[in-house]
Amino acid sequence: MLEIENLHSQIGGTDILRGLSLNVNAGEVHAIMGPNGSGKSTLAQVIAGHEEYVVTDGSVTYKGADLLSLDPEERARDGIFLGFQYPVEIPGVNNAYLLKAAMNAKRKHLGLEEIDAFEFLKLAKERMAMLGMDPKFLNRGVNEGFSGGEKKRNEILQMAMLEPSLAILDETDSGLDIDALKAVAEGVNSLRTPERAIVLVTHYQRLLDYIEPDFVHVLSEGRIVRSGDKSLALELEDKGYDWVREAANG
Amino acid sequence: MKQTALSLPALRGVVESMSDDGLRPAREAALRSLDTRGLPTLRDEDWKYTDLSSAIAISNQWLKNGAPAASDDLQGSIDEITAAVAANWLIVANGVIDDTRFTPGDAIDVERFSATTAPIVADRALADLNVALLQDGLRIRVHATPERPLGILVIDSANDAAAVSQANIEICVSDNCSAEIVEYHASVGEGDHYANTIVSLDTGYRSQVGYTRIQNRRIGHVFTGRISAALGTDSTLDMANYDIGGGLVRNDVDINLAATGAAANFNGLYLVGDNQHIDNHTSVEHRVGPAVSSQEYRGILNGSCRAVWNGKAIVFEGADGTDATQANHNLLLSERSEIDAKPELEIYAEDVKCAHGTTVGQLDETALFYLQSRGIDKMQGRQMLTHAFAVDLVSRTPVDATRDAVNALVSARLEELIRVQAQ
Repeated sequence: MLEIENLHSQIGGTDILRGLSLNVNAGEVHAIMGPNGSGKSTLAQVIAGHEEYVVTDGSVTYKGADLLSLDPEERARDGIFLGFQYPVEIPGVNNAYLLKAAMNAKRKHLGLEEIDAFEFLKLAKERMAMLGMDPKFLNRGVNEGFSGGEKKRNEILQMAMLEPSLAILDETDSGLDIDALKAVAEGVNSLRTPERAIVLVTHYQRLLDYIEPDFVHVLSEGRIVRSGDKSLALELEDKGYDWVREAANG
Repeated sequence: MKQTALSLPALRGVVESMSDDGLRPAREAALRSLDTRGLPTLRDEDWKYTDLSSAIAISNQWLKNGAPAASDDLQGSIDEITAAVAANWLIVANGVIDDTRFTPGDAIDVERFSATTAPIVADRALADLNVALLQDGLRIRVHATPERPLGILVIDSANDAAAVSQANIEICVSDNCSAEIVEYHASVGEGDHYANTIVSLDTGYRSQVGYTRIQNRRIGHVFTGRISAALGTDSTLDMANYDIGGGLVRNDVDINLAATGAAANFNGLYLVGDNQHIDNHTSVEHRVGPAVSSQEYRGILNGSCRAVWNGKAIVFEGADGTDATQANHNLLLSERSEIDAKPELEIYAEDVKCAHGTTVGQLDETALFYLQSRGIDKMQGRQMLTHAFAVDLVSRTPVDATRDAVNALVSARLEELIRVQAQ
C-alpha cells in the first residue's frame, strides 16, 4: 500500500529524514519508534503533505501512485489519515460540522452522495460510545477546551468516521492516563482490518502493550536503523535508545 | 488635502423648494447651523481616516439636478427583506416613510415629525445635513412589551442618476418594557448613492432593549449612520451591528450612561472586501456609576480595502463603579487590506474597572493544514476558519428573529470574500 524509498526531507533548510525506506502492506500494523528528533513526526507530516516539510530526494508511492504530487486534502480523500500529536483547537467550527464536511469530501471524491444527516448522527454516536465519548462533544468546537485525552479520543473518532486505508497515528499515546490509553487503543484495535494499514509513531513502548504491532522499526537520525517484530520494542524499552544509536554507528 | 465642499447655495435652493410643512423651521435652522459648522474633513480628529468627499460629490450632483426623488419600485427588495426577518416593519424608502406594512397597536405608537411640534435635535454637521433635507421623521414610542420585534428598514435606490436620502428616527422605550428592534439598511441600483441616517434611542427605567443593526447596502454606495442611545436607570441595551455591504461606510454608535445601573453591551462585525471602506466609531460616556459598558468588534478583511475601529470610552469624574471593556479583533487576509484600530480611554473617576484589547492577525496555518488533512480543500478550510472567527458574534445577535438572516448574510458574504484569494 505504501512504499517509501530513500526519502530525504528537510524543514527550514535542516535535513531531518536522510534516506528512509519503508514498506507497509494492507492489514499490517507498523510501529515507528525512536528518540526525540529522530524524524518520526516529520515522516508522519511528509506522508500527510505538510508543505513546510520539503522532500529533497526519494519517493513515496501510495496505492501504486506517486503520493508526493498530491495536496494534503487529496491524500486524505484517497484514504490517508494523520492522527495529530497536538490536535488543533478550532473554536467556532463544531465537531459534527467538521466530521460531516470531511466525510462528504471523501464521499464526493468516491462519487457517492452526501451522507444523510440521520445516518451520520447514528454512526457518530455509535463510534463515540465505542470510544467512551459523550455525544455532547459533537456540538463543541473542534478540540476546544478538550483535555489531552479528549483530544486524542477525538482524533480516533475522526479516524473511525473516515475509515482510512492508511492511518498514521503520531504520538497518540502521549499525555494519556491509563484509562484514556486503553480507550484509544481499543478504538484503534477495533479499526484493524485486513484492508487497512496502521502506522503508530511512538516514543514509548507502552502503547504497544495495547496495540500489538506486526513490525517495529527504530528510527535514528532520519533513517530506519533496525526493524523487527514486537520483541524489538521490548528490547528497546530494556536497553534504551543509546543502544540503537551505538548499533547504528558501530 | 483639498476636499470638495458641499454646495450650500444649491442646498438652500432645494430646502426652499421642499414642502411648507411643520419641518420647515427646523430645516432652515439646520441649514444655518451647517453653514457655520461645515461637514467634517480629514483634519477633524474623528474623521482622520474617513474622507467624505464622495458623499459630498454625490450630494452636489444630486442638488445640481434639482434633488430628484427616486421613484424606483423597491417593493420586491422590501418583500425579500421583510420575509427574511419576522418583524413589525416601518420603512423609509428613498427618504419617504412607508408605514403600509406596519401593524399599529402592538404596544407601539408612531408619529411623524411633521405632525408634532416637538423640537428636532441636530447636534453636529451630519445631523444638520439630515434635518435640512429631511422629508419627514419617525417618532416611535414603545409603551408596553411588543409581541414582535419592531423593524426599521431604510432602503434606497439609485438607478439613473445620483441620489441622496435621509432618515431620522427617534425611539423611546418606556419604563419596565422589553423591546426588540431591528434596523436594516439596504440599497439597490448602479447609480451613485449617499444615505445619511440618524437614530436616537431612549431606554426607560428598568427597560430591556435588544437591538440588531444590519448594514447591507450595495458595494459602492455611501452611508453614514449614527445611533445615539441614552440609557435609563437599571436599563439594559444589547446591541449588535453587522456590516455586510456598503462602499464608504461610517457608523457612529454613541452611548450615554447617565443613570445608575445601566448596562450597554454592543458588538460589531464588519466584513470588508475590495472597494470598501468601513469605519466604526463608538463612544461611551460613563457619566455616573455604577454602570457597565462592554463592546466587542470583529473584522474580516480581504482584498483592497480598509476598515477603522475607534472605540472611545470616557469615565467622568465621580462615575465610580464604572465597568468598561472594549475589544477589537481583526483578521487580515490580504496584504492590501488595512485596519486602523484605536482604543481611546479617558478616565477621570477613582473606582473604575476598564480594559481594552486589540488584535490583528492572519488565518492559523496549522488549523488550515489540520482541516486539509481531513480532506477539506484549502478554499473551504479558509471559509470554515473565517466563519469560525465571526460565528460567535453571529450567535450572540440580540434579536432572535434576525439570527437566521444574519447567519445567511454573513455566510454568503464570507464566501464571496474568500473566493478572492489572499494576495
